Amino acid sequence: MELIALLVLPLFAGLACLAARTPAAWERLNLLAFGGLAMLAVTVGADVRAHGPVTALHGFLRADALSALVIGLTAFVALTCGIYAVGYLRRDRRDGRITVAQLRRYYVLTPLFVAVMMLVPLADNLGVMWVATEGCTLASVLLVTFYNQKTSFEAGWKYIIIGSVGISLALFGTVLTYYSAVGVLGADTQHGMNWSVLAGIAARFDPNAMRLAFILVLLGYGTKAGLAPMHTWKPDAYAEAPVPTAALLGAGFINCAIYGIVRFDVLAERCLGHDFSGRLLAGFGIASILVAAPFVLAQRNFRRLLAYSSIDHAGIMVAALGFGGRLGALGVTLHMLFHAVTKPLMFFCAGDVQQHYGTPYFEKVRGVLQTLPWTGGLFLLATFAITGTPPFGLFQSEFTALSAALAADRGWAAGLFVAGVVTIFTGFLVHMSKLNLGLPRADAPVRAMACPWKLTAMALVALVVVMLGCWLPGPLYQLVEQTARIIGGAS
Amino acid sequence: MNPAISPDIAAQLIALFAVLMLVVQLLLVVQRMLLTSIRLFAIQSVFLAGIAAVVAYFHGAFHVYVVVALTLVGKVVFLPWLLDRQVRRMNIIQEIEPLVNFPTSMLICGGLTLLGYLVARPFTSLERLGNNTLAVAITLVLTGFFLMINRRKAITQVLALLTVENGVMLAAVALTTYGMPLVVELGIFFDVLVAVMILGILVYRIRETFASMDVSKLSQLKG
Repeated sequence: MELIALLVLPLFAGLACLAARTPAAWERLNLLAFGGLAMLAVTVGADVRAHGPVTALHGFLRADALSALVIGLTAFVALTCGIYAVGYLRRDRRDGRITVAQLRRYYVLTPLFVAVMMLVPLADNLGVMWVATEGCTLASVLLVTFYNQKTSFEAGWKYIIIGSVGISLALFGTVLTYYSAVGVLGADTQHGMNWSVLAGIAARFDPNAMRLAFILVLLGYGTKAGLAPMHTWKPDAYAEAPVPTAALLGAGFINCAIYGIVRFDVLAERCLGHDFSGRLLAGFGIASILVAAPFVLAQRNFRRLLAYSSIDHAGIMVAALGFGGRLGALGVTLHMLFHAVTKPLMFFCAGDVQQHYGTPYFEKVRGVLQTLPWTGGLFLLATFAITGTPPFGLFQSEFTALSAALAADRGWAAGLFVAGVVTIFTGFLVHMSKLNLGLPRADAPVRAMACPWKLTAMALVALVVVMLGCWLPGPLYQLVEQTARIIGGAS
Repeated sequence: MNPAISPDIAAQLIALFAVLMLVVQLLLVVQRMLLTSIRLFAIQSVFLAGIAAVVAYFHGAFHVYVVVALTLVGKVVFLPWLLDRQVRRMNIIQEIEPLVNFPTSMLICGGLTLLGYLVARPFTSLERLGNNTLAVAITLVLTGFFLMINRRKAITQVLALLTVENGVMLAAVALTTYGMPLVVELGIFFDVLVAVMILGILVYRIRETFASMDVSKLSQLKG
């Protein structure tokens, strides 16, 4: 029941917004839906932790610990983005940047986007998972072009074209996976594409087909996750989309894409052993970290900086998955968790600064701590958290990933990993200290405070970031461990 | 099993239709008139529907007939009509000079076909329906990508994407013996439809804002 509600609630909220007439009603419907979604996600998480996998609609929907974790994180990001969006869009409306029609487009499409994002981890059928992943792009592309500028259309075009090309490869991979299983399955077309069925028989797949399938799937879902060299849509889309949408993409959707890779990796490992997929994943992961590093150092636009950070983090997740073993599985799970709770704060602070100063360029913004004291402080906190400084959570997950690399005897990979992460840390620190510290420029806007909506969203995320840094609640840790066990292959 | 048609004939029919799809794809690569390109895509989709029909008839797999119907309605009639209308409304007749000229394009596509057969070779040992179709499917995907890189009009890029999708569906119908579960086929069909509509909106807006449909002009965002 709860699984169906996870899909139906945001879907109805989107449709209701289509019918509703006033901005106040749209805001309320969105907030209600995302609030309800967060509560449902917690229920599902608790259920799965206590009783194992939950299914609905005769096995069409299935949630194990891995799904429950992704669902919970997506719901968290959706809720905080929903709260933030109210303040952000009201400000845009007041400044005359958007019309009521655009406002409506945002509030109708966002719940639909969230609904398809929920379907990705819920669908047991790998084909349906593919359909949902492509659905996420389709639901969000008109949000990327939200501001109707020349640059928004350029970003939107790249986003949908690169995304669709990538995902068509993933479909080919999915078909080939099914093909490699057909010999084992016989004529069971009803459940033959279900992951829970395939995982049980993966050892007997046709290895030739599975090898090609995994490469295609990694390229496809890797495009959506923003792994190098398929990452080129990301900086444009993240910088042109309104901030709450960018945060949904960068903190929520990225997990859905990684989720797809993880599911296929489990099948590939059972069929081919760890070496084949492990090498590919570690290679793409390290490449993404290394590609992101110079762009972070040389970046002039802080919205684009966030996109390169997200490429880096996608790389870390995939690399951890590639290093494998118990530590690797734990590393990728923790990294998905901590990245999703930390990243929204980065986006929210950047968005507030951009709205207040009217520019996304570092050179025009100085001394945010003086002009926007709350935002500036949280921005610094978020910077330390996202670059993996202790005591924040991302330090633990990056450290776990590194240990996995050393345990798997991949000294080179570990060295490059550390070099990339440290370079990115340095880049962030230089950029963010210039932005936040020091005296404001003479033409800086007046001292102000973020509006209550934005501040609530930022404070909520900051609270969770700090809390998870020091203390991971018992039930959540159990869920993480169960997830790591699924990824490790011993479900 | 349907005794009225021998498995041999079915396999040959599938191979024939698959090769015809490839021929149409190559014609598309050297075609400059947009309206003709759209028509070629429709013809390619007819062959895809033909393959699905053979599979459905041969295996008595009822739900594959739904795929046949969807392909005919969606890819042979509706999408070409939609693109056709858009091209006429925007009043553009032909594609500008491609990056690589046509003889060289043909050579490259020949190379890609070889590559397709090379990648598919490990699978041809498997005794299953339509061994050559995997090679053709891979070739369709590769040449589709090439078409996409080589052309600059947004509409041609959409067409190229659709031929890539045709290639994947060819693999799905011909290789997996019974086709994929119906819900997946429906979902893919829905995605493609929505994608083309959104691309249509974007093409329209891009033309409005840039006064051109040339996607190489989309180059402001850097770094």
